[in-house]
Amino acid sequence: MRPVYVLGVGAHPWGKFPDKSQLQLAIEALTAALVDAGVGWRDLQGLVAASSRFEGGMGWGLHANEVLQAVAETGAAAVNVGGGCAAGGIAVHTAATMVASGECDMIAALGAERMPKGFIPRPPGIPNDITDSDYLRWVAVGATNPAYWAMEAHRRVHEHGTTAETYAKASVLMHRNAVNNPNARYRAACTVDEVLKSPVVSSPLHLLEVCAVSDGAAAVILGTEEQAKRLGVPLVQVAGSAIATGRFGDPAVRIPTVSMNPRAGTQHTSEVGGAVSSALDAAGMEQSDVDFIEMADNTAWHVLSWPEQFGFLEPGQSDWMIEHDELGIEGKLPINPSGGFLSFGEATTAQGVLQVCELAWQLRGQATGRQVPNAQVGLSAVLGLGANGASVVLRAG
Amino acid sequence: MNSTEPIPVARDLFRWSEDGVDLVGSHCEDCGTYYFPKGLSCRNPDCTNKRVTDVLLGRTGRLYSYTVQSYRPPALFRSEPWQPYAIGLIDLPEHIRVMSMLSGFDLDNIEIGTQVELITESLYTDETGTRVHTYKYSPAAAEGKAQ
Repeated sequence: MRPVYVLGVGAHPWGKFPDKSQLQLAIEALTAALVDAGVGWRDLQGLVAASSRFEGGMGWGLHANEVLQAVAETGAAAVNVGGGCAAGGIAVHTAATMVASGECDMIAALGAERMPKGFIPRPPGIPNDITDSDYLRWVAVGATNPAYWAMEAHRRVHEHGTTAETYAKASVLMHRNAVNNPNARYRAACTVDEVLKSPVVSSPLHLLEVCAVSDGAAAVILGTEEQAKRLGVPLVQVAGSAIATGRFGDPAVRIPTVSMNPRAGTQHTSEVGGAVSSALDAAGMEQSDVDFIEMADNTAWHVLSWPEQFGFLEPGQSDWMIEHDELGIEGKLPINPSGGFLSFGEATTAQGVLQVCELAWQLRGQATGRQVPNAQVGLSAVLGLGANGASVVLRAG
Repeated sequence: MNSTEPIPVARDLFRWSEDGVDLVGSHCEDCGTYYFPKGLSCRNPDCTNKRVTDVLLGRTGRLYSYTVQSYRPPALFRSEPWQPYAIGLIDLPEHIRVMSMLSGFDLDNIEIGTQVELITESLYTDETGTRVHTYKYSPAAAEGKAQ
C-alpha cells in the first residue's frame, strides 16, 4: 500500500443558506480544496461523496456523479457512500484506500448538506411498522436525538458525579474555540451562567449543550507522495484511517433503537471506538501519540465521554480535565480546536470531512486564532446513524 | 372495530392479557438473548443457529437512566394533550435494556434505580374514536423505590 497525503482542503462556511443549493455548496467547497492544492477539476481521477440523506439530484441524495456532471464531465470514477452522519469520515477513508491501493494518484472526498429545520425527522420511504426502529422510537416513545444523549448524560451524573457546571464548561470551551474560526456558525463566546440559563431541551442538557443543525460543505484532496512533492503543498500524511460498525453488547443508547443488550466488557459506542482503534493501529500509534482530537460533540456529554470511551482518558477523568482547562487548545488533550459540532451545528454528512480539513489546517500551522501548539498528530472520530463509525489520523510531515 | 377497546400504537409491540400486559420480543433459543421489539434474527455474532421465537417479557424492571423532554417531538409522535414528559431506560430481568415513556413519576424527582412495572396508557384518540395506547413504565406499586 502506498503512503497517502493530503494535497488540499476546503470548506464552505457553516450556517443557513436558503439561497444556495446543496450542489452549489458542494461545488464551492470542492473548488476551495482544489485551489488549496493548486490543481484543477481535470486532475481528479476520482470523487467520493458522502451521500446526503436529505436532498440531492434524482432523489438519491447528493452523489459524486451529480457533482462531476455539473462541473467537469471528465469521466472520473464516482463513489457514493452512505453511513449516516459518519459518511464524511467513510468517504475520506474510501478515498485514502483508493490512493493507497494504486487505483488513483489524486482523488477528492466531499460532503455537503442542507439540513431541515429543528429535530432531525425520520426519512421517508420506510414501512410504518416495528421492523423500523426509527418509526417505533417516534410513535411509541417520542424520543428525539437529544433525548438519547440526555439519558447518557444523566447516567454519567449518576456514575461519575458530573455536575451541571462541568457540562456547561464543556459547551463554553467549544464555543470559545470557535470565536476565531471563520467556518464556524456560532462564533460568540458564552459563559457557564448563559449555558445554564438556556432552556432545558432534554434534561439535563440545555439548548447551548446540544448541537444545532446547519448547512455546510467540506472537501479533501488526497494523493500520492509524488503528487504532494510535485505540488509543493505542506506535507500532511494520512497516517491511518478506518471505518467500523457497532458490536453486539455495546451499552450505548444508540439512535434510533428502543432497546440494547449491554454485555460487560463491551466498548461503549463501539462503532467509533473500533474505528479509532483500527485507525491508530494502521498508523502504528497509540492514544498517547495523538496531540489533539476532532470528534463529534453532538452534546456536552460527548465532549466528556468520548475521550474516555476511546482510551484517551480514564473513566471520569474528563471532569477534572475540563475543570483545569486541559481539554482546551493549550491543554494536555485539546478537543475540537475548531469549535466542534456545538459551534458549527451539524451538517451531518459534511461533518466528517470538515473534521479532516481541521486536522490538516492544524498540522500545517494554518489554524489562525485556534492553533494547537506543536500539533504533529491529529485524530478525527465521527458517529453515524445505524451504528457507523469512522476515524482518520493525520500526521505532519 | 369496537371503538371502546384500545389498540397498541404499533402492531406486535405489546400484548394485553387477563392479568396485565407484556412486551412482545424475540428470544434466541440458542444463546438465550432477548430482543425488543421482535426481530428477524439473533444479533450475537457468537451465536450460530440464531433460532428466534416470539416471547413475552418486561413486566418489571429497574430504572437505569432517564430524561425529561421539554420540547414537542416531530409530528410522527402523537400525544394529546402534549406536555413535557419523561423517557427512561429500564433494565429488565431478561438482561435487556428497554427505552420507554415513564408514567407516575414526579418529573422533578426521578431516581435512577427505581423499581418499575409495565403499564399501557392512551397517547391519543384516533379518527374512529379508538384510544391508541403505548407501553410505559411506572414506579412499582408494591415495592416502591429500590435501594
